[in-house]
Amino acid sequence: MKPLRIALTKGRLEKKTVELFEEIGLDCSILKDKGRRLILPVGNGEMEAVLAKAADVITYIERGVCDMGVVGKDTIMENGSRFYEILDLKFGKCKFALAAPRDMDFYAGYHSKKIASKYPGVAKRFFESKAMDVEIIKIEGSVELAPLLGLADGIVDIVETGSTLRENGLAVIEDITDISARLIVNSASLKLRKPEIEALAGKLEAAIVNKEKEIKK
Amino acid sequence: MRGYNEVLTPGVEYYDVFGIPGVSIPQQEMYKTTDNNGRLIVFRPDSTLPIARMASARLQNFQKPVRLFYRQNVYRNTPDHTGVSNEAAQMGIEILGAQGLRADLEAIMLAADTLTKTIGDFRLEIGNAVFFQNLVGKLQISEERREQLRTTIESKNYAALSGLLENIQDQKIVEAIRKLPRLFGGEEIFKEAERYCPDGDTADMLLYMKTLYRHLSETALKDRIIVDLGLVQRNDYYTGIIFSAYTQEYGAAVLNGGRYDTLLGKFGDSMPAIGFSVDTDALTAIVRRRGGGESRIRKKTIVHIMPGYEIKAHRVMDEMVGKGRYCEASVFDAVDKTRRYASVVGIHRLMVVGESVTEMELGDDET
Repeated sequence: MKPLRIALTKGRLEKKTVELFEEIGLDCSILKDKGRRLILPVGNGEMEAVLAKAADVITYIERGVCDMGVVGKDTIMENGSRFYEILDLKFGKCKFALAAPRDMDFYAGYHSKKIASKYPGVAKRFFESKAMDVEIIKIEGSVELAPLLGLADGIVDIVETGSTLRENGLAVIEDITDISARLIVNSASLKLRKPEIEALAGKLEAAIVNKEKEIKK
Repeated sequence: MRGYNEVLTPGVEYYDVFGIPGVSIPQQEMYKTTDNNGRLIVFRPDSTLPIARMASARLQNFQKPVRLFYRQNVYRNTPDHTGVSNEAAQMGIEILGAQGLRADLEAIMLAADTLTKTIGDFRLEIGNAVFFQNLVGKLQISEERREQLRTTIESKNYAALSGLLENIQDQKIVEAIRKLPRLFGGEEIFKEAERYCPDGDTADMLLYMKTLYRHLSETALKDRIIVDLGLVQRNDYYTGIIFSAYTQEYGAAVLNGGRYDTLLGKFGDSMPAIGFSVDTDALTAIVRRRGGGESRIRKKTIVHIMPGYEIKAHRVMDEMVGKGRYCEASVFDAVDKTRRYASVVGIHRLMVVGESVTEMELGDDET
């Protein structure tokens, strides 16, 4: 049997995933010390990992070149979901929020608001659900700058602690949704390799529950 | 050979055919233009809807069942740079005007046969649209909420599903829906599902699925079938069994099908129906990657024609082709050039037609 191939989002989510894998007893030594290899064996050859940027993880899973992936809910929301999202891994937690200058009443006035965001899809759906007519401007980075420069009335962005917002005179107006890392699975893979994938997901879920209990203590 | 007639549907259709509430194809996925009266038309985005329209309008007075097959391209506007083609080759069948076990079995067996003869290994999953519909039908929830439930079950998103169900009172149904994404596997699934039956109608459906499963287990399909009662497909028009096929080498279903008894009624007179469509592009790609396809045609022959024997050569070739051989006429005057051409395109047999007809093998070293 081919190893199950999992795509991990590079960076913080990758580190957290490795921690979780080790907790369920998977050998991640090569994954931690990868050198120049691009496809990295995990455990005793039952799995292999590749590292990719978040949006590429989704592409790999949708196209079926990887069986599973670990990716943030933010990326899933923005890039659609033609795959199975089977487990909330409970790390990489943050939220999508609508923020605007603290001293401004965002909803006041009749003019249609301008919204800057790295996530135009998420922003669009949010305002659609409120039946609000807005103009969305796609920004690639430092979204907080847009209202300060007068480009936008508000922003839709990922908020973790809110300190960047505060420092720039912005405040959260409304939470949109909670975000965390998710385990996603290609639809054909789940059908064809159900026992292996379910066993893995089961172990991960148990480890996550344990961890949460420990935190509560 | 099994009583199916080929159907060709128009390449351009009225937009309205695909915009019927409940069965529509997403607006943004269709290529649209207008006809000379300013009416909106689309490039055929799907084959089943046009066939349903045609059947309800024109086949009402025919003896049922009517069995149809198609092989034609469909056009969908997909996002750029995703490696997904906007023009997709599809083949499929529809059995119109027949209901029940025999028609369902025929469609599934035919689907399986199609895949056995092309790619060999595959998994066929079978579900039933009724299970979800009946469960959700018992809940007092909005259309929007219902759609949310459907998509979370479709994506097997257990976490989001729990969240959606939190405020719903009816505990028995909630428990059943919560279980739905996990209700897939072998025969044992039926037993589990029985515990969550909301009514007699659903119980009958489960019994029917079990019978169907038992029948299929008697065939070579035994190890290829998975039951998935959480199968809730994007196409809302399914009303009974639904099925999809998967293979290791392709990241999506290579075949989708199901029963759609109410669809024809939306175009006029109603008629029960079942059908499936195959992703021909995917199958071709898989077969080719395995080194099958064209190279499976064993012996190719190049036919060199001596001056003045052109008609005779074509007569000889007609005879060969009639016997199922692959042969190709050379357009070159000099036999050397014919040999060179043959070596470049990979033909290893030469026939020379002149006063007499001679045939010989060409070595690889003859360049």
